[in-house]
Amino acid sequence: MDLRESPADRAFRDGVRRWLEANLPARPPATLEERRAWHRKLYQAGYLGMGWPVEYGGRSATPLQQAIVADEMARVNAPPPINPLGIAIVGPTIIVHGTEAQKRRYLPKILTAEELWCQLYSEPNAGSDLASLRARAEDRGDHFEVTGQKIWTSGGTIADRGLLLARTDPAAPKHRGISCFLLSMRQPGVEVRPLRQITGSEEFSEVFMTAARVEKSDLVGRLNQGWEIAQTTLSYERGAGSLARVTRYASAFHRLLAAARVLRRHGRPLLEDPLVRARLGRIYAELEVQRYAALRVLSALDRGEAPGAASSVTKLSYSEFEKRFLELALEILGPWGQVSAGPLPPGLDLRVTASSGHGDDWAYAFLWSRAGTIYAGSSEIQKNVIADRVLGLPRDARADRARA
Amino acid sequence: MDFSFSADQQLLRQAARGFLEQRCPAAAVRALWDDPRGESETLWKDMAQLGWLGLALPEAVGGSGLGMVETAILLEEMGRAACPSPYLPTVLAAWAIAEAGDPAQRRRWLPALAAGEARATVALLDGHLDWDPASIATRAEPTAGGFALSGAKACVPWAHVADLVLVPARAPRGLTLFLVEASSPGLSPGPLTALDRGTRWVSLALEGVPVAAGAVLGPPGGAGPLVAGLLQRGAVGAAAEMLGAARRCLEMAVDYARVREQFGQPIGSFQAVRHRCAEMLVEVENAHAAVYYAAWALDARAPDAALAASVAKAYVSEAARKVCGDALQVHGGIGFTWEYDLHLHFKRAKALEAMYGDADVHRELIVRHLAGPEP
Repeated sequence: MDLRESPADRAFRDGVRRWLEANLPARPPATLEERRAWHRKLYQAGYLGMGWPVEYGGRSATPLQQAIVADEMARVNAPPPINPLGIAIVGPTIIVHGTEAQKRRYLPKILTAEELWCQLYSEPNAGSDLASLRARAEDRGDHFEVTGQKIWTSGGTIADRGLLLARTDPAAPKHRGISCFLLSMRQPGVEVRPLRQITGSEEFSEVFMTAARVEKSDLVGRLNQGWEIAQTTLSYERGAGSLARVTRYASAFHRLLAAARVLRRHGRPLLEDPLVRARLGRIYAELEVQRYAALRVLSALDRGEAPGAASSVTKLSYSEFEKRFLELALEILGPWGQVSAGPLPPGLDLRVTASSGHGDDWAYAFLWSRAGTIYAGSSEIQKNVIADRVLGLPRDARADRARA
Repeated sequence: MDFSFSADQQLLRQAARGFLEQRCPAAAVRALWDDPRGESETLWKDMAQLGWLGLALPEAVGGSGLGMVETAILLEEMGRAACPSPYLPTVLAAWAIAEAGDPAQRRRWLPALAAGEARATVALLDGHLDWDPASIATRAEPTAGGFALSGAKACVPWAHVADLVLVPARAPRGLTLFLVEASSPGLSPGPLTALDRGTRWVSLALEGVPVAAGAVLGPPGGAGPLVAGLLQRGAVGAAAEMLGAARRCLEMAVDYARVREQFGQPIGSFQAVRHRCAEMLVEVENAHAAVYYAAWALDARAPDAALAASVAKAYVSEAARKVCGDALQVHGGIGFTWEYDLHLHFKRAKALEAMYGDADVHRELIVRHLAGPEP
């Protein structure tokens, strides 16, 4: 047990830090082309797709090294890459399940952000019960024809292509009639409508597919193997964002502390109120435990252990923590915590991060904290996974089990 | 970076579990609950034989030269077994002597403690229950040969079986730590009856207890860091024991939920029970990370060691409360019976929640680390 970074990892971290100091754009990239350029720059420096095998343009980097890059980027509030789903999900899926032709055709352009990708999984009536999805892909001889609706498509408005799950055998049990495709978003049969969230912003889309065309060569894996493939794609994240997440929490916490020195109650600064101190101490203990837990996961990954269902413990833990943290922040900040623009009292900094711009206020962060316990498997789904696969409790009586 | 246990550490855990399952099963725990002393001489001697008592002491005094991580492994296993033992206070006192003792003090106590020939404890609390060393009211008056100690120490773990009590007291030069032999005149232990019969607390009255000048441990008037170190190690040790209790309670709840049937099916198939168990696992795994991070940080003298100790105690106190309490809820009526073993662990966790600073004490310490003291 040694929880310090090794000299090699420390040197790697120093290298990332120096690179960011030299290359971080002075202002956040605004246009699509600027964002692509920043993505390419990160890739050329070796900091994107670095977990991919060398033969496909990656560096076979360890999970810890990937986590270090994300962590250093979080420290300086660096802009994110523009093709995150391509790097984290689509690329690894093609590497594991794709044909040689698919690998040659798609992987290089994912890395360089020449082609941007989205994920077409959720549907209005297939959220937690993803396997009940209804979008169908019908065999038309030389191609498949896709009809249906997808929702919660991140980056849908800028995506060139999408990783699609669609039903190919309506007669089969629901988990066994789904296939996985690589769909072109640039065709008349695909319509993308931005979806406005409770944040007021539009990070997601709805995607309507009407007789959209998918080439036969763009089927991933075997026909009706889609569910199995989707299960594996969910495990590709592998802790890469775990340290960065905690770094962002810690940065926000220290900004909250600073505000608690300025705001007052009962004639004294909030930071001198024992009740406030107890609650800050409690949430910081939880925050530090998130860091220790992240180190534990990364250590296991570095030893080559597959996290499997245990990653549900991590996801459940941090997403629920994040909600508690931001609830507390808004309580401590009072009405100021809900303000995103306008005149503020002198000496009060209400930004969650060191940069300023859209989305750096507490209200926005608070609203976003409500997403984490819903996306990528809600807390309820994570608890089911833990109960089934970690604790080995008897399965609950689910209507679809007998048929599946 | 490596958060895994070494092969030796895994062997230590396996050996401890095997030993405790054989020598300290629930029936033995219950027998000790009814015993006036509350602990077993043969168990203590066997622990010494296994090297547990000198685990973190230097090899020169009969120890194994290991650290807080290994100590936490043993304490977790003892918590798992609900083993009644003065182990934690003894190793805390031994640590302080190894850390700050002069050669004579080390010779006098460390080999005996490592060999299981003596037990020791630490009297960190006065009756007002303030863990802040600044509040210690017990006084040390200078005398011809040394000092006379007067005051009332509260909830001293296992003081009725200890041969040595570490007593922090206010001397003319400031807070000073004293090695007080249990046979000293003027020292009267008053055992308390409390919720967990596997943990014994003792009120300790000191009425002019004479101690020699050579019984001052560490710098006279400068015991603050040593007392803080004892509190940190006590906090991490207690957290490790609570972790063991919590993990055992979770296992019992899951095992029970698999076999207990109501409405014609195992209760573990109901989402209300499944989700509760999943939440318990999250707490147990987080508690594991908190305990072993803090234990490692103390061993490595990491800059955040004190913070990590407070994080561990603040987090695990609450986690163990939830997990042990939820396990009782999953069991329903059977969990509320004296015959069922769950309450042995439930009560151990509750007793340790209150010791070495409860969660609120450590939350305040965390904020002091981050933002400075409350004015």
